[in-house]
Amino acid sequence: MSGSVRHFKLVLLGDTAVGKSCLVVRFVRDEFFEFQEPTIGAAFLTQSVQLDSSVVKFEIWDTAGQERYRSLAPMYYRGASAAIVVFDLSNKESYNGAKSWVKAYAEENNILYLETSAKNAANVKNLFVEIAKKLPQQAMQQEREQGFTISPPKQEKKSCC
Amino acid sequence: MPPHQISCYLTPSGYKFLLLHPALGQDSVGGFFKDVAEVWVKLVLGGLWERESVVESKGFDDRLFPSLFFFLLATWEHGLFPLFAFFPFLAFLFMRQRNGRPSSRAGMVKVGKVKAEFTEYKNANVFTGTWNVNAKKMDPSTSLASWLFPPSTPSPPDIIAVGFQEIVDLNAVNVAVDSKASQRSLFWQDTILRTLSSNNRRYTLVQEVHLVGMLLCVYVQNKHLPHVSNVSCNTVGVGVMGVMGNKGGVSVRMTYYDSGICFVCSHFAAHRENVVGRNQDFHSIVSKTSFDVGPAVVKEGVASGSIGQWREGDEGKIGVMDHDVVWWLGDLNYRIDEGMGTEEVFEKAQRGDIETLRKHDQLNIERGNSNVFQGFSESILSFPPTYKYQPNTDLYECRPDKKLRAPAWCDRVLWHEADSGTVDCQVYERAELNISDHKPVMATFTCRIKNINTTKRADVYSEVMRSLDKRENQSLPKVDLDKVTIDFKSLYYDNKSMASITLTNTGTSNAHWRLVPKLEDEALCKEWVQVSPTFGLLVKGESCEINFSVQIDNETAMKLSNNDESLDDILILRLENGRDHYLTVSGKYARSCFGMGVRDLVLISEPVRDVPLDPKGRIDFEASHPPASLSVPKELWRIVDAISEKGLHEKDLFLTPGFAAEVKQIRECLDTNSDFGLFHIHSMAEVLVSFLASLSEPIVPSTLFPTLEIDQGNIMPWSRRFLEELPPIHYNCFVYIISFFREILLYSNSNNLSPAKLARVCTSCLIRSDEANRGGKGDRSRNMSLIFLHFLTTNSI
Repeated sequence: MSGSVRHFKLVLLGDTAVGKSCLVVRFVRDEFFEFQEPTIGAAFLTQSVQLDSSVVKFEIWDTAGQERYRSLAPMYYRGASAAIVVFDLSNKESYNGAKSWVKAYAEENNILYLETSAKNAANVKNLFVEIAKKLPQQAMQQEREQGFTISPPKQEKKSCC
Repeated sequence: MPPHQISCYLTPSGYKFLLLHPALGQDSVGGFFKDVAEVWVKLVLGGLWERESVVESKGFDDRLFPSLFFFLLATWEHGLFPLFAFFPFLAFLFMRQRNGRPSSRAGMVKVGKVKAEFTEYKNANVFTGTWNVNAKKMDPSTSLASWLFPPSTPSPPDIIAVGFQEIVDLNAVNVAVDSKASQRSLFWQDTILRTLSSNNRRYTLVQEVHLVGMLLCVYVQNKHLPHVSNVSCNTVGVGVMGVMGNKGGVSVRMTYYDSGICFVCSHFAAHRENVVGRNQDFHSIVSKTSFDVGPAVVKEGVASGSIGQWREGDEGKIGVMDHDVVWWLGDLNYRIDEGMGTEEVFEKAQRGDIETLRKHDQLNIERGNSNVFQGFSESILSFPPTYKYQPNTDLYECRPDKKLRAPAWCDRVLWHEADSGTVDCQVYERAELNISDHKPVMATFTCRIKNINTTKRADVYSEVMRSLDKRENQSLPKVDLDKVTIDFKSLYYDNKSMASITLTNTGTSNAHWRLVPKLEDEALCKEWVQVSPTFGLLVKGESCEINFSVQIDNETAMKLSNNDESLDDILILRLENGRDHYLTVSGKYARSCFGMGVRDLVLISEPVRDVPLDPKGRIDFEASHPPASLSVPKELWRIVDAISEKGLHEKDLFLTPGFAAEVKQIRECLDTNSDFGLFHIHSMAEVLVSFLASLSEPIVPSTLFPTLEIDQGNIMPWSRRFLEELPPIHYNCFVYIISFFREILLYSNSNNLSPAKLARVCTSCLIRSDEANRGGKGDRSRNMSLIFLHFLTTNSI
């Protein structure tokens, strides 16, 4: 089992009081507190998930959602393998917040994030161009070869003794 | 012997590693410990570990070795290597549970027990046979039944492994070209299958492998075929030049139910005296045999406990010893020890004195000395030596035209089990087939086979994982803070305020804490905050105070006045291997005229403390009521007025320090526009100087400093130009102050002041001396001082 444990840094992001800590506490300890204290700082917990052939061990950073601490969040999401962006379904403002968190996380980790509008054409072309740039060069070439190159049938080698 | 130290490393979960080592730097010991801890964690995570057992894992040693190597290197750099090399055993490693931790203790016991929880066992009957056939073929009608079906085995074997040596002559052509060996292999397969089917038994050949003269065929009863997987074979030549196949081993491995089993059929070096060669052949075959089963199979084997958990990372390859059971059969070529004469061996063999002979059996002797087949078992030899016979007879070869060979037990079957009690040998016999100069040997076994309940195993592992996670989370460092916010309320200019936060270790492990800078910052906090200590170690239950002191110095006051700074900062307190806490420090600036600019001050009619602010916290000059446009700041006027009123005669005015409390009081009265009350005149004089020095823009901007040396010839035009270029409010203030000073000089008899003394006072508060000498030629503040002197001594204003 030893070598098959893979470690990943995971960060929870989102506005204040949307339930980030509750989510983590439920996942890690299977508990729920009606009145969860606000996180002032960044809580750290680990939890493993057993897959068929390996174990994924999450190193979870549960960040502070309050606006005043927002500037500190990049310390935690920089280099994180995954981010859970949380918002409260009953709070539209937190949804808007979630969008900005996604954007910030994407920027920090060099992930493509574009807002487009089909209606006014904003960013539409750019979206596809940026995706094209991101696709691996190798794979593109391979696809082409498979699609268009017609190779001559292989000649049987005649051997002599 | 140089002094030695004992170092201890405490893991987050409370394990102690102790190391006895020569005295050397903490870094290298720490690095070594970290490596050890990492390997150790992997061992614990493996889940198949018994608590308080000695770590006897080759894998553990292997993983540790590189660390140990670098550790030795570090020791060497410290000039201690020779000692260390002579006493490698000085590096003892102890791993012991920390005392008084019942919860984690229980957790670890559980981990040790799990293997049994998901493993069910069943028995399998295994037949193994080996025969050196001396390149002979049999009459096709002859049956192998007397060999393959030893009479004393009750139930039919589930697995049959048949090994041959010398299915072809070991000549140069056969070593180089495979065609004849392949034909012979088919012949023997055919013969075996015929024998097996004659007995109405249904077997399938799961793998055949041959190399020159060596052939190994493994059969499994048809009903078990669905439980046979990951069959793989390998050949290793150790003959001529160490690689040719005239000698060597062929092997087959498979996963049978959930046990990894392996058969090796080998032919070792011949000749009675070549014991070392045979031992070497064994080790070569073990080290060279490798089955490429793929990473998934390795992983599965590790999870089932069939493969040591250290094998992973070897790209899916496993060796002979990575199996629950290994059967090793073949013409191992060990003879009777040379100490016994050939004649005597013959005599004893013919007489059937097996007991004496086996005491002199080279293999028994070598195994007894742990030179070969370490960890393997063999049943007792109870049959006569199997070599060397006169073909087609049951007589040892002793015809005069043949080379005389002492009879020997060349043909053997041994086994190795990973867990003791897995294999039980039932029959170890020889058969009396006589076409070859060797007799065939057979051994039958009952073998405990693992049948893993994968669902149960997943459950058990999940539970172990959960308990490990829980333990890990519980042992994270934890501190309680009596508060995380310090609100200093009002903070006054140049006043120091203090507060502290108490940190208590409420966790179960040591807490290393440290204040860390914010991303891309270097400082831990803003300039106006001072904090101490900034790091520390708290053992369980221990507390400490972090002290904060805040002071609004002139620079901060200027920034605050311009709204370039706010009294609000967050400090990050980080627990090593744990969470971060944010500590907020804040206060409200009690606005002061100190640190402001004269151009702003003249626009304010209210006391500075009550100045109206816009929503962003900036001074709203428009809202000042009544609208002001004073010629000099009212604060300046009040100070000068207070000194003029009763201080002009004061001896050493401006040269005598005031009283700190009074200075503070006067400052507060200026900011709140309240009555000064009682004060010493020196305190007021100090306030004048410090007020002027605190202004965000000095009365005399550095741009107006003379660029040439001032002398009697050019002082008039420079002074005139200086006055012309002063900004209006600055001009007012300058003229106001110089006039005041000139008035003071009228009383020089009593106050003992001189123009030169007052010029020095001007230099100290009307210009910024750090700016004065920046970049210019000569002593620019001296030039400026001459201009001040000029204004003080002449009626030029």
